[in-house]
Amino acid sequence: MIEIRGLHKSYGSLEVLKGVDLTLSKGKVLVIIGPSGSGKTTLLRCFNLLEMPDRGSLKLGENTFEFREGAKIPQKDILALRKDTGMVFQSLNLFPHMTALENVMEAQVTVQKKKKSEARKRAEVLLEKVGLADKADSYPHKLSGGQQQRVAIARAMALDPEVLLFDEPTSALDPELVGEVLKVIKQLAAEGMTMAIVTHEMKFAADVADHILLMDDGIIIEQGSPQEVLNNPKSSRAVQFLNHLNGKSDE
Amino acid sequence: MDDRQIQIIMDTFWPLLKAGVLYTIPLTLITFALGLIIAVITALIRLSSWTIPKFIAGFYVWIIRGTPLLVQLFIIFFGLPSAGIILSPYVSAVIGLSLSVGAYGSEIVRAAILSIQKGQWEAAYSLGMSRMQALRRIILPQAARVSVPPLGNSFISLVKDTSLVSIISFVEMFRKSQEYVAFYYEPLLLYSEVAVIYLLFCSVLTVLQNYVEKRLDRFSAS
Repeated sequence: MIEIRGLHKSYGSLEVLKGVDLTLSKGKVLVIIGPSGSGKTTLLRCFNLLEMPDRGSLKLGENTFEFREGAKIPQKDILALRKDTGMVFQSLNLFPHMTALENVMEAQVTVQKKKKSEARKRAEVLLEKVGLADKADSYPHKLSGGQQQRVAIARAMALDPEVLLFDEPTSALDPELVGEVLKVIKQLAAEGMTMAIVTHEMKFAADVADHILLMDDGIIIEQGSPQEVLNNPKSSRAVQFLNHLNGKSDE
Repeated sequence: MDDRQIQIIMDTFWPLLKAGVLYTIPLTLITFALGLIIAVITALIRLSSWTIPKFIAGFYVWIIRGTPLLVQLFIIFFGLPSAGIILSPYVSAVIGLSLSVGAYGSEIVRAAILSIQKGQWEAAYSLGMSRMQALRRIILPQAARVSVPPLGNSFISLVKDTSLVSIISFVEMFRKSQEYVAFYYEPLLLYSEVAVIYLLFCSVLTVLQNYVEKRLDRFSAS
């Protein structure tokens, strides 16, 4: 489904990804954790090329890319890849000038060139799925952060992507709103949606993940099942990070 | 005010208002519409990565903003004929005013586009939209709302700036009032009268501007 080999990315002299390899098979949930600045968000943003890697390769479904410094990737290949991925952002990013329903319809009409009536039908189904059928005609500013993020999930699924990408989907939310968003993601996992999730919610990660990556300083320092990574980390850096997190949650 | 002056006002008010409605307002609307098109195109070029068009657009804004509108009108109407380009007062007025609106407006539009959060572009891109689609469907509608108050100001300025074209013998409202002054020898009275009509127009426009802002406000939290 997704295969990444030797991915490198630098901003100027700062090397953010120092050779990352990973595989994510269909229907599985990959959770990426790690301290801030470890490169986990950059890695996720390479999945749909919001960040362009300098070197390495990416295979996602039918889309294959080889990255080399100075080589330009054709725009149409990038757009094709993005139709096969859906992304949910930390900062919500709903389109404020459109209702919840229109947010979910937008890409179907603009990108897929679907008829409005068809797009509306699918949007209604998706809003129902995230439990917001009754908010279809509300503008984003009338919705809570948790509701906005659920609309964003519906929007990300509108094009029937092969994989959903979540970039810290609950970090910008008030604590009492986190649960409703995680519930929707868990439900999608149960339905067999392929997902890659960057998160700081360790309990959620343990629950939902088939595979966990622990990143630090641009490389993967630990990976495996939640059991292996969270309970029996091998490297001292991983132990340190997990202790730090636990220490925090115990306070 | 004596009876004669009251009679002059009665005789001139309607013809002046008529000149305003028939010439000043249409000139304002046409030049604003053209200026807005120029403004959006100029702003988009200046935000693009095309080096040469970018340079030309920047040069245009620099020239128009750095020279008086009155001088520009003189060059177009009195200057260009020496180069073999003869334009009617009306066409000269439309060109001069639209170029001015376009240059100032382009900065407003550019700032409005830049004010839209990067996350909006990214959300659009993540859904498979091209740059043009993102711009047209996501960014410009939001930028339009941001630019309404400053563009409203430009529009009101423009109503008043149209009086400048009286000097290139285009008979709009102010030119008409000058003709009356020459006839009645009542400059204070007649110029005040035309000022009141401008004030009237601008007041109506301010109300209109507020209405448009409210309409566009329906999706914002504030």
